Amino acid sequence: MSEGGSTLGRIARRSFLIGAGVVGGGVLVGAGVVAWRLGAIDGYKLPASDGETSFGAWLKLGRDGRVEVAVPHQDMGQGIYALAVMLAAEGLRLPLEAVRATPAPIEARYANPVMLLDGLPFDEAAHGPLKQTAVWTFDKILRVLGMQGTGGSTSTRNISEQIRTAAICMHDMLARAASARFKVPADQLKNVGGAFLTPDGRTATYSELAPDAGKLKPNDIKPPPLARGAYVGRGAPRFDVPLKTYGEAKYGIDTRQPGQLYAAIRHSPRLGGRLDRAVIPAKIAGVRGIVEGKDYVAMVAETFAAALAGLEKAEIVWDDSMASSVSTKDVFAAYRAALDKGVDFKPRWIVDSAGDVVRASGKEIAATYDAPFLAHATMEPMNATAFVTETEAKVWAGHQSASLVQLMAAKAANVPSDKVEVFTPFLGGGFGRRADLDYIVKAVEIAGKFKGTPVQTIWSRAEDIRDDVYRPAAMADISAKVDGDGLPSSFVYRIAVPSVTQQFVARALPSAKGGMMADRTTVDGALFPFYGLPTRSIENFTVDLGIPVGFWRSVGFSLNCHFVECFIDELAAAASTHPLDYRAKLLARAGSYEPAIRAARVLEQMAAFDKANPLPPGKDGAMAGRGYALTASFHSFVGEIADVEIVKGDLKVRRVHAVVDCGFAIDPPNVVAQVRSGINYGLTAALYGRVDFDNGKVVPTNFDTYPLLSLEDAPNISVEIVNTGAALGGVGEIGTPAIAPAVANAVFAATGKRLRSLPLTLGPT
Amino acid sequence: MSVEFILNGRRASLQAPPDSPLLWALRDEKDLVGVKFGCGAGLCGACTVIVDGQQVRSCVTPVIDVAGKSVTTIEGLNGEVAKAVTEAWIRAQAPQCGYCQPGFVLAATSVIATDPKQTSEQVFSQITNLCRCGTYDAIRLAVGYALSSLQGAESQEKGAAR
Repeated sequence: MSEGGSTLGRIARRSFLIGAGVVGGGVLVGAGVVAWRLGAIDGYKLPASDGETSFGAWLKLGRDGRVEVAVPHQDMGQGIYALAVMLAAEGLRLPLEAVRATPAPIEARYANPVMLLDGLPFDEAAHGPLKQTAVWTFDKILRVLGMQGTGGSTSTRNISEQIRTAAICMHDMLARAASARFKVPADQLKNVGGAFLTPDGRTATYSELAPDAGKLKPNDIKPPPLARGAYVGRGAPRFDVPLKTYGEAKYGIDTRQPGQLYAAIRHSPRLGGRLDRAVIPAKIAGVRGIVEGKDYVAMVAETFAAALAGLEKAEIVWDDSMASSVSTKDVFAAYRAALDKGVDFKPRWIVDSAGDVVRASGKEIAATYDAPFLAHATMEPMNATAFVTETEAKVWAGHQSASLVQLMAAKAANVPSDKVEVFTPFLGGGFGRRADLDYIVKAVEIAGKFKGTPVQTIWSRAEDIRDDVYRPAAMADISAKVDGDGLPSSFVYRIAVPSVTQQFVARALPSAKGGMMADRTTVDGALFPFYGLPTRSIENFTVDLGIPVGFWRSVGFSLNCHFVECFIDELAAAASTHPLDYRAKLLARAGSYEPAIRAARVLEQMAAFDKANPLPPGKDGAMAGRGYALTASFHSFVGEIADVEIVKGDLKVRRVHAVVDCGFAIDPPNVVAQVRSGINYGLTAALYGRVDFDNGKVVPTNFDTYPLLSLEDAPNISVEIVNTGAALGGVGEIGTPAIAPAVANAVFAATGKRLRSLPLTLGPT
Repeated sequence: MSVEFILNGRRASLQAPPDSPLLWALRDEKDLVGVKFGCGAGLCGACTVIVDGQQVRSCVTPVIDVAGKSVTTIEGLNGEVAKAVTEAWIRAQAPQCGYCQPGFVLAATSVIATDPKQTSEQVFSQITNLCRCGTYDAIRLAVGYALSSLQGAESQEKGAAR
């Protein structure tokens, strides 16, 4: 049975609260205003000083003859700066060294609509007029609003075509300038290493031609479809790699401003607790003062060590009258109660449904899965440096949205947002944590008490873990009725989880009213299944006990892909069918549905690997097992195969193979690196990750109580890229969702035990 | 009172209190910001420096402990082994966010320098640094490259992922 026409696609039963919630937030922008503003945005040119020539929003030729490419995304390890350099160099036919990346100015021109458009209620196969209209409309509005941002695996998708177009157009302008100068038709000019050469041997470099070229009107040139070129499709060494290897790369925490002071911060030990008062009992060497915040205290000193020592000595009294007394068990009890209440629970959203699940017949198989809260634990703890005066502010910090930093810092410093300068160094990890800007707001508040002096606020690891915005804990009831052939005649998926988007909007844009709408991220990975599940109901139960939740690498996919892929494995086992064959059958049942075809292509490669590389027997009699998971996230399709061993009751992941369809891999070695990274990030969660709460207090405080995957325990990971030519998908997060279910399913294969809670704990064997 | 020692091959002194962490003294007093703060408890290795040839976690090392000793940070790393390691790191394109990488480079250098004839596995077992980007495959590759070049053989590592 087929799921409708392949180009019709599906639309969710609900519209979603999208991204920053600004659209639902009553920001009314008339069509005329949109058109007028877009004109200004499209015509924006990178500012050029003396000796520089701007070629539009993305490129300019610098005084030293190097091309500068503006990057509106932050580099948090995903390599977007290096990718921008690569694309600009390719289009301009330059060596990599002739191009450098610089942070783009905070301008509407550099908005990232892609991040928010992914929240629209359409599936992968929808290409019809309804989707086109919605995307066009929202795209234009979001461009005018100008929200910059790095997240949702969007940086390459957002800027790669724009940079490719800009580079080709700039090259054309330079060629026309050369043609005019030499009075030789452009097609007779040769292009060698940053210069044009005439048939009779005259040359002009890009630098020499730039002043003339910059005055020409750009032609409307579309770049050719992505294909293997000088760098594209091959990859190139990242310019940031030597800087990072030699310790020369500068992060937010490395900011050094003249006269800078340092602040150590401590938050209320209990969620929702407030600071009553804090005093320094005696004079402490180097300490310059204490800042009393609403829910924190900061010690400001001449060195960070002095600030830390001062904080230890401070007498701090917390006001716990408003503090939360929530414990982990309360959260799961609330989830259980909500799911048990069923159709009467509010808010409950049926986000995707088809057929009549009640009337379906067959043998029922049901299971309940759960997953804990998780911290981001970026290697560089939260920190920011701020300089505040009566009229202006400056911020140096890693973050995931320059425009949001500007807005929030302006508010905290009580200055207009155009008086806030934002400087963005490399990020020592983002993973969604640096989308929430609490650490910047607090640094600005603290510096605001030392006007005219830059203050760097650094969080200890304990503060970083205890005052995170966590990947939400969740619980899912999943049930299916199965036919004689073992395939489901119905599929019901109910997840109880808080809404990250709802909370994020309340924190970042308190004036925007998102209203009560479903949050797509809560069901991402469960709605619009690529499997043929013609009778289904995908439901969200929003349950929020006030624990702060945020965007954590792959967001809802990290939960829903795990629950779904483990349950599919249960169905396969119940049908006594090999997990790969069972998935193939379920995909075949989806007919010509586009996502099913892409998933099946990945599955084929998984099967080929599986056949060519049989599971090795466990060493020294250890139990061994192989597990599989197939996922789609951020418009990319990923299948993972995990080999595990149970060594004396310990779960060891020995090897992982991933098959990836991200449409087209512009930089294949970096795609491999990112997918490996996503897998290892997900493995930490699968094997160890949990943040518990006890009477409103966060339990873990450092890497001893919140362990990370180590070199010793990290498996060998191989990654196979399938270039299908589909539209570009994301890469930065796509490795994460499939690894926990692949490992859990491997444990079942090894032991016959279904582990339905994360992290995976074997218990007594 | 100040603590005298050798820093990156030169005589140096620190004014920081003798019981305060070497990490912050190096970062704030000497401006050696390649020494990174990660956990403050000796658990992650981002703050690794080499003291008299041994990898040491500077966040849990009091300043007084290095009196009279030789301390090397990423800024002062040199020599044949260091060259092999850093070049291998770049060849393997190991860093992603990069924050933990100087610590890894220093740890690998000090471990390999004690015996360049070790196997890769022996080196891995002595590196307990943490990387949140999960660059472990590339780090293993880099260690292999470094050992091969020091052992004078372009060996088995050929044809690996990058």
